[in-house]
Amino acid sequence: MITLTPLRNFDVPVHASCINPDEFKSKTLKEIAELPVTEGNRNLTLSDLFKIEQDKTETPSITLNGDFKKVKRVGQGMKTGEIIINGNAGMHTGERMAGGKIVINGNADSWTGSEMKAGTIEIHGDAGDYLASPYRGSGTGVKGGYIIVDGSVGNEVGCYLKGGVIKIKGNAGIFLGYHMTDGAIYVEKQCSSRTGAAMTGGKIILAGTVTELMPSFTIDSIKPKVKVDATQSVAGPFYVFLGDLADHGTGKLFVSKTNNPQLAFYEKYL
Amino acid sequence: MTEFKSVVCPICGCLCDDLEITVENNEIVKMKNGCAVCEAKMVYGYKSEERILKPMIRKDGKLVPVTMDEAIHKAAQILVDAKYPLLYGWSSSTNEAQRIGVELAEELGSTLDNCASICHGPSVMATQEIGIPTATLGQIRHRADLIVYWACNPWTSHPRHVERYTAFTEGRFEKSEWKNYMLKLKGETGKKKIEAASKRLGQYSPPPRPQVCMVDAPPKSIQKMGRKMIVVDVRKTKTAEAADYFLQVEPNKDYEIFSALRCLVNDQELDIDKVGGVPVDYLKDVADAMINCEFGAIFFGLGLTQSLGRFRNIEVAIALTRDLNRRTKFVISPMRGHFNVTGANIVFAWQTGYPYAIDFSQGYPQYNPGEFTINDLLRRGDNDATLVISSDPGAHFPKSSMQNMMKHPLITINPDMNAISRLGDVVFPAQWCGIEYSGTAYRMDSVPIPLKKVVEPPPGILNDQELLERILNEVRAIKAQKTEVQTKVKGEVRSAAKTVKKTAKRTKRKVA
Repeated sequence: MITLTPLRNFDVPVHASCINPDEFKSKTLKEIAELPVTEGNRNLTLSDLFKIEQDKTETPSITLNGDFKKVKRVGQGMKTGEIIINGNAGMHTGERMAGGKIVINGNADSWTGSEMKAGTIEIHGDAGDYLASPYRGSGTGVKGGYIIVDGSVGNEVGCYLKGGVIKIKGNAGIFLGYHMTDGAIYVEKQCSSRTGAAMTGGKIILAGTVTELMPSFTIDSIKPKVKVDATQSVAGPFYVFLGDLADHGTGKLFVSKTNNPQLAFYEKYL
Repeated sequence: MTEFKSVVCPICGCLCDDLEITVENNEIVKMKNGCAVCEAKMVYGYKSEERILKPMIRKDGKLVPVTMDEAIHKAAQILVDAKYPLLYGWSSSTNEAQRIGVELAEELGSTLDNCASICHGPSVMATQEIGIPTATLGQIRHRADLIVYWACNPWTSHPRHVERYTAFTEGRFEKSEWKNYMLKLKGETGKKKIEAASKRLGQYSPPPRPQVCMVDAPPKSIQKMGRKMIVVDVRKTKTAEAADYFLQVEPNKDYEIFSALRCLVNDQELDIDKVGGVPVDYLKDVADAMINCEFGAIFFGLGLTQSLGRFRNIEVAIALTRDLNRRTKFVISPMRGHFNVTGANIVFAWQTGYPYAIDFSQGYPQYNPGEFTINDLLRRGDNDATLVISSDPGAHFPKSSMQNMMKHPLITINPDMNAISRLGDVVFPAQWCGIEYSGTAYRMDSVPIPLKKVVEPPPGILNDQELLERILNEVRAIKAQKTEVQTKVKGEVRSAAKTVKKTAKRTKRKVA
């Protein structure tokens, strides 16, 4: 296991896509120390910014201790191994990851798990905006994998989702599951407006309260129970909405009936 | 006395190119055809008493005049020493200067952002997501019979937009309806005058506020032949007073309304009766008017780009335009603010591939609004030096952004002593673009238009392009010097190491 600790507080962003189990594998400590990173526009090596230690334990592959809020792209494109971040994580953590596991014992910044294909990300804090959402202008979102957030998430989470499961135990911001075509998102507490806008497939389960529903969703039925994934199902009852009609979508939006009495008027259409 | 004809107005995105200007003793004394905003800058504003005439450097907390060379050296030194500088502004400068700006950013490995970041950046992002069916203003002027102004107030922000390009203009295929609109406006003004007079007499009782709905039902005139104007906004503006129909929506509900309109245009039924404070029946009439027109145009402003949802609002507006194009001809266009903010996007995109929010720290351009946009960078406190050109963030930015900007050196390039220049550590004077020097600017519909020079600038002041070129050369010179010193030091270290090795060998031999 490699342990990295920042040597000082960073005042400008650090670009460190080399902090990646696949990159560290089969490299000596000296070779790892010489991997390139940038601090702002300065080209440096990993040992210039971090204290690097090695011990004989196998998992996790990499442990990061300290505040990594300004360190971007940790675990980018990783395929195997495990990273544990004991502190806050920076932007683009686990971007395009295709396997392995990232555990963040702190808050995660925006674009965490962007465009991931497989693997697991556990965030034991809050997550920023664009969690599991693609790069600007891209229509290819997360294709698979598993993301669990213990805290709340920001806006536009799970945009263009094509597969995989996102579980949020706190609150969610606007445009949850924007333009998603497949996969599942589960929110335990409050969810802001415009949920599932432009979605054409997949499912969003809202067990808590909802600020407002999009006008372009139509009620389909009431269900007593919903399955989130193979391991979890949630007891309802749930209103089932179909949408987004504006995009001729057939995505499913499950909204808790008990927590949302303001939606009772939809029952007249059943 | 010299007269200039067809002068281009360097104020808003309309870039009106029909100004007639009279110059006497190197001063503009008369201006014809321009709007009030244009007159304020072209006739009076540019001669302001607050004009910066010499470069200045902050010494012991005070700005002290210095020579141009000293100021350029100091600015270049700040930029080279910074690990993550930020270059911002550009929207009131020429394309030629913007081009040098990109070169400077690349040389420095800095972040580069323009004013689109706080105005129509979301429009550009939405275009990247979904594309845009648009047209030039000339086409809209001659053909559009339905004009929709959504979340903008051109009467105040782009005073000649309605007159030159849309409802008030006499197009080749569409007649001007200015008489009807002016009558309506006069009526509204008269009503206001009577209300004010009765207020003074103490006989005024305010009309009862509508309990159910603040929107009136659409009049039949929005279905008529010929020019029609619909305004959608959160408050009744002067443009809304002139319009055939004013659709007042609740703030931050534009996305929902666009979405509902899309459903209606696509023949879908809605489960609810009201969207964003507007009854769905009224929206049906608006959708009918949109489908039944021959050539429709939506113009949108900052009310969409800077309210809840930001670029997603524009995306859904463009999606509505796309849906309408299955039924009729419809185009959509942003109401760009500063006269060359479109140009800044175009030049940056042509040079780097990206329109704004660009980062060169990795040696190649990266793009990500939210990560490299100025306010996000400043609020996170990422940058350690800032250069602001032809813009005044000091007057407009949030306090948290400005506080972080002020923690590090600041270089400003502005003709006037505005808020940001007062805060600068190195303050450069500049010429007024489009008045004191010529160049190219892009109109809001991305049409390039050459700006004219009509008066001579004060002596000793460089234009943006010349100044940036000199800063760039100085940056290159300092960097070359640095690498020279570094290689020299490296060489010295190597030779010292060699001599140490040699002496060690000699002593070994001697010992042997």
